Amino acid sequence: MDAIFFLLPIAVLLGLIFAILFVVAVKRGQFDDLDDPPERILKDD
Amino acid sequence: MCPLTSPKNGSPGTGSPAGEDAESGVEGGDVVVSDSRRVSRCPHCGTPVEGTEDVYCCSGCEMAAAIIRGAGLEAYYQEREAFPPRPEGDLGGWDAIPVPVGSGGLCEIGLQVDGLRCASCVWVTENVLQRTEGVAEASLSYATGRARLRWDPEKISLGEVATRISTLGYRPRILGEEGEPDRDLLIRLGVAAFAAMNIMMLSAALYTGWLGGMNPRYVALFQWISLALAAPVALWCAEPFFVGAVSGLRHGVLHMDLPIALGVAVLFGHGLVVTISGGDTYLDSMGMLVTLLLAGRVLESRGRRRAAEAATAMAATAPATARRRTGEGVETVPSDQLEVGNLIDVAAGEELAADGIVDSGHGNLRMALISGESDPVEVRAGSRVVAGSVLADGFLTVRVSAVGRETVLQQMADQLRLSADRGVKPALSDRIAPWFTGITLVVAAGTFFGWLAGAGFEKAILTAVAVLVVACPCALALSRPLAAAAGLGAAARRGLLFRSGDALLEMEGVDLVVLDKTGTVTAGELEVVEGEDEALRVASGLERFSGHPIARAITRAAVDRGIPLPVAEEVNEEAGFGIRGQVDGKEWEIRSGGPGKVLVKGEEGLSWTITLGDRVRDDSRSTVERVRSTGRDVVLLTGDVSEVAERMAAEAGIDTALARMDPTEKAEWIRERRDEGKRVLFAGDGMNDGPGLAQADVGIAMGTGAASSILVADGVISVPSLQPIVAGFRAAEAAAVSIGKNQVRSIVYNVGAVTLAASGLVNPLIAAVLMPLSSGMVIWGASRVERKVEGADHGVPGSQGNPGAPSKNVGVN
Repeated sequence: MDAIFFLLPIAVLLGLIFAILFVVAVKRGQFDDLDDPPERILKDD
Repeated sequence: MCPLTSPKNGSPGTGSPAGEDAESGVEGGDVVVSDSRRVSRCPHCGTPVEGTEDVYCCSGCEMAAAIIRGAGLEAYYQEREAFPPRPEGDLGGWDAIPVPVGSGGLCEIGLQVDGLRCASCVWVTENVLQRTEGVAEASLSYATGRARLRWDPEKISLGEVATRISTLGYRPRILGEEGEPDRDLLIRLGVAAFAAMNIMMLSAALYTGWLGGMNPRYVALFQWISLALAAPVALWCAEPFFVGAVSGLRHGVLHMDLPIALGVAVLFGHGLVVTISGGDTYLDSMGMLVTLLLAGRVLESRGRRRAAEAATAMAATAPATARRRTGEGVETVPSDQLEVGNLIDVAAGEELAADGIVDSGHGNLRMALISGESDPVEVRAGSRVVAGSVLADGFLTVRVSAVGRETVLQQMADQLRLSADRGVKPALSDRIAPWFTGITLVVAAGTFFGWLAGAGFEKAILTAVAVLVVACPCALALSRPLAAAAGLGAAARRGLLFRSGDALLEMEGVDLVVLDKTGTVTAGELEVVEGEDEALRVASGLERFSGHPIARAITRAAVDRGIPLPVAEEVNEEAGFGIRGQVDGKEWEIRSGGPGKVLVKGEEGLSWTITLGDRVRDDSRSTVERVRSTGRDVVLLTGDVSEVAERMAAEAGIDTALARMDPTEKAEWIRERRDEGKRVLFAGDGMNDGPGLAQADVGIAMGTGAASSILVADGVISVPSLQPIVAGFRAAEAAAVSIGKNQVRSIVYNVGAVTLAASGLVNPLIAAVLMPLSSGMVIWGASRVERKVEGADHGVPGSQGNPGAPSKNVGVN
């Protein structure tokens, strides 16, 4: 059962990676405009 | 808004032939004359035209089609879902706008593009711009009609880019500075949600441990990790609440953030102490609480941002420029470079850039922006004219007497801005907050001392903490922003944009609706009131290439009546006199027949009169009826004479009409009604309605009106219709009901939970279940707002009130 001392921090760390990815995505402006991209995908040039 | 091309029958695109044919059919720019009166549709804008298949209705459409085909974007004609507006000629003046050259030698500007009707419109405009030599980057938003442009000033000028847009039939306007989107709150929310979910998972394990027993080493591990995850939530994510609470205290106000900040501080402090000394923590509740409250904040700020964007879009203007006479000729300059004493030229259809005195020339001037009345006034040498008025016809040379801030228009705007600083009523939640905090603290203290005597210090402090924990007014704090955001969204989708949630909620208590006449109940632009079909047919043939407002009104009327535009020959337009030309091989002449009248004269003494004027909007009557069915009174106020006022009022179904009211009288009248205890909503459009808009409980401006009236209003109607007012009442009512219910729910919850906690019955698990439950109820309540408004829409056709596509386009004009 002592494996949990490794596994739990690893699990949290994995979660943290996704949290960081989210923060990066927000900072790059991916959440600034949620209305246009879904329309844009229908029209390709 | 240019309603002349709304496709009424047949799918758009029918009768739009393949590229080759269309272009060969109009070779040389002369229009093909057909003896048999065959009717076809203009391949670009769909206006019915007499002649063979490939005849364009005007040179503008022909040009637009040539550009689209030239850019290889023919697919537009197959894919579009609506006809574009007819191009209405050049705008001019863009090159006079100073745009600083940025990095890489490129200029950048934000534009609001009007007239976009479907996704294909956006697509074709964006692609035409992208394929224009010298444009480095062009992106146009489907949702809002905003464009961001980057171009190389060495290769192309802003004027050329703007002309390219306007040649396609869409109208660009300059957008003011935009704020950066608020990413900070969203990041805080993301971090809080991540931490809260992990803490919850760990807590679930700990709660299970209560039943089966758990190795203390694991308990310690779980708790320390929980604490590590909770630390950023309490110390960073919750910062806005601490900031709000502290700044409130500094101003001597007990803000709603105070009990929240208090709750978070107690929860985290307790968690910290307990993790070190042993015991059960409430950290999962804290994570949940901060996450939910931040979610509320994010929703609220999105709603506010959308409202701010709407206001910017409305206030966007075409560049204000003037043609100044110099020694050698005429130069175009930005209007802020004009000086007193300059001579400026003003042609028909143009707006005056400064106040002045007419030096030479003569014409009819529309001063709707100032006086609120649309009937043109005749001016000649010596007449005083003011900035913001539009020359309906003729040609003037004006000696400038006041510019910029000194103009009558600007001074009125400044006064309005001052008067609009009315006090904002604090939100109900903020009024409750001090009581809430006080009562919670008293109960917590009472609990502490109550338990101290019987159960010892530790039990007493734990119970008091439990009271503070469950009393955290999460649900109460969420109820208002969530419902207001939902209401704002529901109203916005129906064409009414509010500056804030408070303004929307204010609408609920309104019992008197006051409407301005020109531009509000009426369309506020010249329209044909009376005229024979044949007269319109001939006149529209002669005038379809003219950009004159009267010409446009006549062509629009012909199209609306389904009269195909005939092909005219040898058309000769003489400024200030009229138009001459041949239709069906006969000589015709159009000239002014006094104010609001146009004479159409033919050979053999044939003569018709076309009467033009303002007209009540098609849906004004039904709107008034619906407003009255909610038990609210409707009154019409106007500066016009009582005869006209009464006729218009009768047409719109309004009983009470007050005529000959000047702007201050209107505001005064509204103030008197408010003193009588009435809650007044005023809807108006012109500069002259500004004082009234600022004075009323709720001021609603027409998006087509003066920018300055929008600045002082609480809300803006983004479509050329009054219908959104009805939608606004519904949204306000639904939001208010939702808030009321939610506040009752959350108070019941709080009283119950605090009682439980004070009796020592609440442990962390019970808190973790109770708190999200109460917030969940609030979210559920708010989510029903849109559905309620939608339910009210049913059985009332057309109340969506947004005729233009894209449906979310705030730039409809």
